[in-house]
Amino acid sequence: MAAVTTSAERSLNKLAIVGVLIVTIIFLAPIYWIASTAFKPRNLATTIPPTVVFQPEISPFVKLFTKRSQLRTAPTPEQYAAAPWWERLVFDGGEKVVRSGRGEVQWSGYPSRFMNSLIVAITSTILAVGMGTFTAYGFSRFKIKGEQDLLFFILSTRMLPPVVVAIPMFLMYRAVGLNDTHWGLIILYTAFNLSFSVWLMKGFMDEIPKEYEEAALVDGYTRMEAFFKIVLPEAATGIAATAVFCFITAWNEYAFALIMTNRRAQTAPPFIPSQVGSGLSDWTVIAAGTFLFLLPVAIFTFLLRNHLLRGMSFGAIRK
Amino acid sequence: MATAVMTTLDPKSRSAARGMSDLTIRNLFIIPTIVFLIVFNIFPLLYSLGYSFTDFRASSAAPATFVGLQNYRELLNDPFIWSNFAITAKYVIVSVVGQVIVGFGVALLLNRDIPLKGLLTTLLLLPMMLSMAVVGLFWKLLYDPSFGIINYTLGLGSFEWLSNPDMALYAVAITDIWMWSPFVMLLSLAGLSAVPKHLYEAAAIDRAGSFYTFFRITLPLVAPILMIAIIFRTMEAFKTFDLAYILTSQPTTEVISIRLYKMAFQEWQTGRSCALAYIVLIMILAITNIYVKYLNKVKER
Amino acid sequence: MRKTMTSMLAGIGLLLACGTSVYAQDKELTIFWAEWDPANYLQELVNLYEAESGVKVTVETTPWPDFQTKAFTEFNAKGSAYDMVVGDSQWIGAASEAGHYVDLTDFFNKHNLKEVMAPATVKYYAEYPSNSGKYWSIPAEGDAVGWSYRKDWFEDPKEMEAFKAKYGYDLGVPKDWKQLRDIAEFFHRPDEKRYGVAIYTDNSYDALVMGVENAIFSFGGELGDYSTYKVDGIINSEQNVKALEAYKELYSFTPPGWAKSFFIEDNQAITENLAAMSMNYFAFFPALINEASNPNAKVTGFFANPPGPNGDQFAALGGQGISVISYSQNQEEAMKFLEWFIKDETQKKWAELGGYTASAKVLESPEFQNATPYNKAFYETMFKVKDFWATPEYAELLIQMNQRVYPYITGNQGTAKEVLDALAADWNATFKKYNRVK
Repeated sequence: MAAVTTSAERSLNKLAIVGVLIVTIIFLAPIYWIASTAFKPRNLATTIPPTVVFQPEISPFVKLFTKRSQLRTAPTPEQYAAAPWWERLVFDGGEKVVRSGRGEVQWSGYPSRFMNSLIVAITSTILAVGMGTFTAYGFSRFKIKGEQDLLFFILSTRMLPPVVVAIPMFLMYRAVGLNDTHWGLIILYTAFNLSFSVWLMKGFMDEIPKEYEEAALVDGYTRMEAFFKIVLPEAATGIAATAVFCFITAWNEYAFALIMTNRRAQTAPPFIPSQVGSGLSDWTVIAAGTFLFLLPVAIFTFLLRNHLLRGMSFGAIRK
Repeated sequence: MATAVMTTLDPKSRSAARGMSDLTIRNLFIIPTIVFLIVFNIFPLLYSLGYSFTDFRASSAAPATFVGLQNYRELLNDPFIWSNFAITAKYVIVSVVGQVIVGFGVALLLNRDIPLKGLLTTLLLLPMMLSMAVVGLFWKLLYDPSFGIINYTLGLGSFEWLSNPDMALYAVAITDIWMWSPFVMLLSLAGLSAVPKHLYEAAAIDRAGSFYTFFRITLPLVAPILMIAIIFRTMEAFKTFDLAYILTSQPTTEVISIRLYKMAFQEWQTGRSCALAYIVLIMILAITNIYVKYLNKVKER
Repeated sequence: MRKTMTSMLAGIGLLLACGTSVYAQDKELTIFWAEWDPANYLQELVNLYEAESGVKVTVETTPWPDFQTKAFTEFNAKGSAYDMVVGDSQWIGAASEAGHYVDLTDFFNKHNLKEVMAPATVKYYAEYPSNSGKYWSIPAEGDAVGWSYRKDWFEDPKEMEAFKAKYGYDLGVPKDWKQLRDIAEFFHRPDEKRYGVAIYTDNSYDALVMGVENAIFSFGGELGDYSTYKVDGIINSEQNVKALEAYKELYSFTPPGWAKSFFIEDNQAITENLAAMSMNYFAFFPALINEASNPNAKVTGFFANPPGPNGDQFAALGGQGISVISYSQNQEEAMKFLEWFIKDETQKKWAELGGYTASAKVLESPEFQNATPYNKAFYETMFKVKDFWATPEYAELLIQMNQRVYPYITGNQGTAKEVLDALAADWNATFKKYNRVK
């Protein structure tokens, strides 16, 4: 904006700085609260006035990863003394760690859900970005009859509410046994992200000067060779950005996961709310699960900050 | 543009003779995607169109019987369904208006000489990148009348955000505004930075008031891009499911997606839910159409 | 670029392989249940089975509000993820008619379970249709709604004096619903951040309905005639109107934000010093007697649902039977497990671990009744329980009841009479739709 000149302008600017800082604090407060609750002892999670300064604890994470069971009476001193440090943390909360018949400590459902989220999000991202890149190139470089209509069609598939699509997909998956499988969810997320990746990649492809390939074609490259050796490297940044966006969408998806998976392929978003607790609420465990789950996305957001606008707006707006 | 590429490639040229023809490559690149989307998006919809005329229940072994338009007729005459639509509309309006005010306001602030602007902008974007379901769950604790930090910070005592039927929808909308204002902010920033500086300089020379400058210069020039943000958010808000589903179970927050989910996967009225899905679908298509028209308009600029 | 792509793909392949190989073990059974303590106790119980037989049994859980949806989604998908389910009593109709459950009649008769298990559990958890002699599950976890209360608040001499002065009788465990209401009113002091009573209000599954049932049954009312499907004049009877009004009045004595509360919130009302009394299923009481999880454990007492104005005393039934799922590929193993589960020693062990056995012999034993401060109240309640509809369309009936009753209780909409009349019409229409009535 215009250079700050007058003193009125200057004081206005100071006001704006203060305003932005306040807004940023308000917007980050809930995220900070999640992160801090993840390290609180349970009795400090719901205090009034809220606890801000406390001795951080690792116990929410121990509880997050283990299967626990409520104790009616405190463990005997011998039991307590014999237990490893992490099991004592569970004892302190009035619970004990559940062991299998062979004495192995049982995991909670969280690690397998986290793994499922990784499997589904990564695979569907690779498929959606792969197919999207090819298709975007096709739309960007070749003449296609009814191009606008086709692009509209591709876009419109993304606009369907998940619950609307989920009803028939549920019935179809039932017929072929894809309910509660990784592939079932991967296919859905790929379809969901494909339209997005086509639109975004088309924008990136349009920006690559076609003279590059033309020169290569004249040099005797085939179109395929030109695509792989000239276009793809040029589009690498765009591909990476698109991939991260697809990943985040798949990673965060809730409705399909809620409906189409139960156990084997269930991802973290429908699972984390189920950690509310079995007899008493334990917000620290939910916070710990949420915190771990949000970390990858927070990191990606920082990596991606220069592409955010484009990704969020389907490539409709360029920065 | 595309024609230009085509014509430079003489079909008899050396490169075209080797390898696949452009036509093959084009088809190879585009058709699988189109087919994939048809199979996994359009075909299921046709499949459910058929069921929408039956009394099929996925929970029973009984075969489906054709009932004609009965499902549609009964749904359109069901006052509960209409109230679900009314709730959805109210939710869309409240949350989108809120996002535009907050988002555009913050963009105006950020569009000045702010130190660490890049970092602050990125931090502000964080909420919308997070999972609605997971973060939304945590807002339950923030809203809690006995232990929540919101009431404590604002000194609201034991104000009931989610338990008060009249307040619950606003509480859900506030969470949505928190998540998605950054989106409007981001688009507005792009629009604001595109306003040519000489217009402001000219206005300053004319001694135009800041009020005048805002309404006559800033707003009209940012309007198209703001419109995109509004349409985007309207569509997303219309589809909303996770947030309202996780935060409350008030009838006053039962948006249409939640009703649809309950009908399909709790009551197992599969045929009827297919019909309701179609009613929702038609509305979505109408909004999408408006959206694409605007999108094309803006792109032409 | 291509190299990275290939290596990434390989990585994914590996991930997928790992993901699936976990389930490749042969002798493994999975039991599906809701997320609560009894499920953890069951896990401990089945660990003993693993130690004995080498068959690994896993108890998988999902939160209560989703439990029904998740289970039926899996059944309707004919999925084999679960071999057995510890399913709600209302499900039997839907699950047996659709063929989701394996018929256990022969098993039941062979082991004479009709005598072995407590009568209410056989009637509501196992048999469908009523009095048909066909059994679909083995009573596993008996449960009913009871109450916990703050003994220290009740026994405070100052409070006792003030109470006596105000109401003219001694403050103590409520002897009927009228007293329950008075005590709730007495302790309801929003200025001190102390409230009268915690009740169920969550309408996402059956919590609110269970809470209301406690009032209706104790006021001498019924939901309908379960054999003729007649509802008009029964669900909207005079007692029921009074019962619903009583429940609504209790709602005005709850802590703030009490419009989506179920067992967690109700237990929290005791641990966080919010309420004087709290309604909850017996199954959730273990957390209240351990000082590590309830700072007020020493001063927490328990009582059974009090009688209504006419002296009727009933409670809403919770609890579940264990059924074998028709789509399981390990049905034979599952039956072997059930044989082990119904043994007397197993049932005794089950009760020791914290499960609420349905075995009559164990329930009647003094060891059981003295094991916890609430076991005796549980034993008494289990012979005075009633349940919701168990017809296949019970989910619709439940949603209709929630739709009508919830706005009245929490949102002040309409009168009790209007609400119940409307509900009677809804239910009647639903029964007509399924040709249960003409």
